Amino acid sequence: MNDIQLQKDTTFIDHLQESLDKENRYSPWDLFNMAYEAETTMMAPSFNGLRALDYLPHVNFLPHQVTCAEQVVEEMNGRAILADEVGLGKTIEAGLILKEYMIRGLVKKALILVPASLVNQWEKELNSKFYIPAIAHRRNYAWEQCDILISSIDTAKRSPHREQILEIDYDFILIDEAHKLKNHKTKNYEFVRSLTKKYCLLLTATPVQNRLVEIFNLVSILKPGHLGNYESFLEQYGKDRNQIKQDAYLKQLVQKVMIRNTRDSTDLSNAKRHIETIWIDFTDAELDFYQKLDSVLFAASFTKLTLLREICSSREACYLSLKKMADSENASEVFLQLAEKIEQLPHHAKAKKVVELIQQNPGEKVIIFTEYRATQLYLQWYLQQSNITSVPFRGGFKRGKKDWMRQLFRDHAQVLIATEAGGEGINLQFCNYMINYDLPWNPMRLEQRIGRIHRYGQEKDVHIYNFAVRGTVEEHIMTLLYEKINLFETVIGHLDTILADLNITDLEDEIKSIFSESTSTGEAKIKLDNLTSIIQYKHDDAVSEEQQYGN
Amino acid sequence: MAIENLNQFLEHYFTAHDCSLIQNEDGILTVQLTEEMDRALMNRPFYWHYIKKMGNKGDPMQLTLITNPDKQEEKGEWIHFGSPRLHQIFSHLTNNEKYTKLFQQLDTTVKTALYPWLVVNMKISYIGKQKKDEIISIGLQLVNGMMKFAMMDQLKEIPLQLAAADYCFTISPLIKVKSGFLRIESVIDQHVAKQANDWAEESIKTLQEESNMLKAFYNDRTDDEELVKQMEKELQEIKNRYQPTISYKVINGGIFYLVDGTIK
Repeated sequence: MNDIQLQKDTTFIDHLQESLDKENRYSPWDLFNMAYEAETTMMAPSFNGLRALDYLPHVNFLPHQVTCAEQVVEEMNGRAILADEVGLGKTIEAGLILKEYMIRGLVKKALILVPASLVNQWEKELNSKFYIPAIAHRRNYAWEQCDILISSIDTAKRSPHREQILEIDYDFILIDEAHKLKNHKTKNYEFVRSLTKKYCLLLTATPVQNRLVEIFNLVSILKPGHLGNYESFLEQYGKDRNQIKQDAYLKQLVQKVMIRNTRDSTDLSNAKRHIETIWIDFTDAELDFYQKLDSVLFAASFTKLTLLREICSSREACYLSLKKMADSENASEVFLQLAEKIEQLPHHAKAKKVVELIQQNPGEKVIIFTEYRATQLYLQWYLQQSNITSVPFRGGFKRGKKDWMRQLFRDHAQVLIATEAGGEGINLQFCNYMINYDLPWNPMRLEQRIGRIHRYGQEKDVHIYNFAVRGTVEEHIMTLLYEKINLFETVIGHLDTILADLNITDLEDEIKSIFSESTSTGEAKIKLDNLTSIIQYKHDDAVSEEQQYGN
Repeated sequence: MAIENLNQFLEHYFTAHDCSLIQNEDGILTVQLTEEMDRALMNRPFYWHYIKKMGNKGDPMQLTLITNPDKQEEKGEWIHFGSPRLHQIFSHLTNNEKYTKLFQQLDTTVKTALYPWLVVNMKISYIGKQKKDEIISIGLQLVNGMMKFAMMDQLKEIPLQLAAADYCFTISPLIKVKSGFLRIESVIDQHVAKQANDWAEESIKTLQEESNMLKAFYNDRTDDEELVKQMEKELQEIKNRYQPTISYKVINGGIFYLVDGTIK
């Protein structure tokens, strides 16, 4: 066929001739043959299939992640929007796709644009999980020198970086949080459009929100013209998103460039979740202290809120904060008094409940999550007093230490006490009991916690206990935020879309501001109630839409 | 042949580089590196620079490579087909073992003629929407012009060494190395031409579809210079992505002196 370009190897034979003339070093047979075997091992004998899976035996990919990567490489020819729900592993899918292209020798130069706060995480993940030698851009790095660079879009689009980047022909460009590119009039959008690229992935968890024209803009980065041009698109579909429901053809077109996996569509739901709220009553002494704390007037109501949350967790957590405040300059007497009072409190009611619960399930592995390090230490000590073995776990642990703790937990200890979801990488499928010692205010974080044990590979049902102290700030959060909207069972999968729709970037901040801007508990309650009502409403709306629109 | 037994492969690799084996049991291989191999694999140029400046001999490291996945937890590096260490070893091999001249090993007291063969191991890549590779090993006898495929499989059965054995003498080639290579190349051209090229047709179809789509997107806006530039850039991107290409890359090759009739 005439249209096929042919690139021949022009250097080899001259070099061989030169070697023969000059009697250079020759390869002995063993090594000569081994080089041949090495190439034979590395080659990709077929157009289809993922070679990368053989290269990454240490990663357990979920079926939907593998399917997604195959689809992008084989059907979408390397340009796609990855729009899985939060927590289903978009990063993994993207890493797998990039790895595949690198193995096949199709990608050498790649640029990965992610939010500044995620640069290091991406660097770590690509290196440790995928053996992709990606480097985070640091000051004074020349862009053309590193083959695989990770940077924030804000850095990349600024001079002098911008000019350098636009000079480079990239084989692969990845943009995380791509929904920020929905407006085609922004600098970011214009910058991304002007990049020279071969393959391109856009990652977003919230692709279908708001207006249809935003999808048009995202698709136009990947495949200009796929949805027609701007004028004809507007004319046909208008600026109103509602049109998409009626238009099966448009839906089909979008699905050619977008993959969206939802929790319901993946195999994650075989093991059931049993979620139980455990109400705990403070002892009189504790309640007394709580109320005293609540009645103190603070300059910043946020400070008080923090202290109240802490005392619901452990005396130690609250004590440390009080102590810090007391030590700071011109602190009022009140902190010292409170700190002294704390010292006289008995053991925390929640801690006692933990012991009780663990003893009811002898031999079962339990993971406890708390928000505070002081609580973590206290619990470790308290469990030890009750002859329960435990190991700590923190996000700040080095890789090796994390693995070691996981192993200790699996083989020796009954309980693992963790202060955060620990990010990715720690899989605890061998454990199916979880205690949320205190609830995070951002339900997505709770979902990540549960995801540690309720994930692919979990064969038994998982039991999750959420602790809350009655008559405290925890009760409001529990009843208003979690129970009212039936968060665990239904809403969680849609929460990211809903929040983006409501223009809420961080639910936790939203709740904090509700508490700090309210003058009374009653006011805060009403505001919380309003918030959850609207989430509930949006959710019902989204569900009915998903049925018509989702894939 | 692709590698099947990685442990054995590594053992051969290090032995061929004069490294002594300290232990090799249960898929755990420990070798004592030589200075040359330490420099090649351990990535510590400053150490060697410093130690040589001081006039010292240096202390090459030991390396433990674990091929048995059940032993991952043991001390050492787990090595598998995706691990960076193996790819370092692979590129060490492919960069350094490109050219050879070998002689058939014989134990004889009779004068024996060795005939020259040009052997070329070629990787062919077919690149369209996706990519696949094919490896072809061809030998060309440089006296009578006989050509053989799957040459490496046959050579594997023959003992080979770097110098001619006693009583053996080499016949000079009648075909020049360079023109021999061109003959091999044209045989590969024929082979490639015979392959089904639906992959290329599909790529071209997609190339045209997406190019047309792109032009419609810009709506023939030839009045705006910026837009035209952007369109040209994107057209070029489509071309880069779908233009069907076949590339040849020689893995390695060389001259092999063999007794007449050895290659069947």
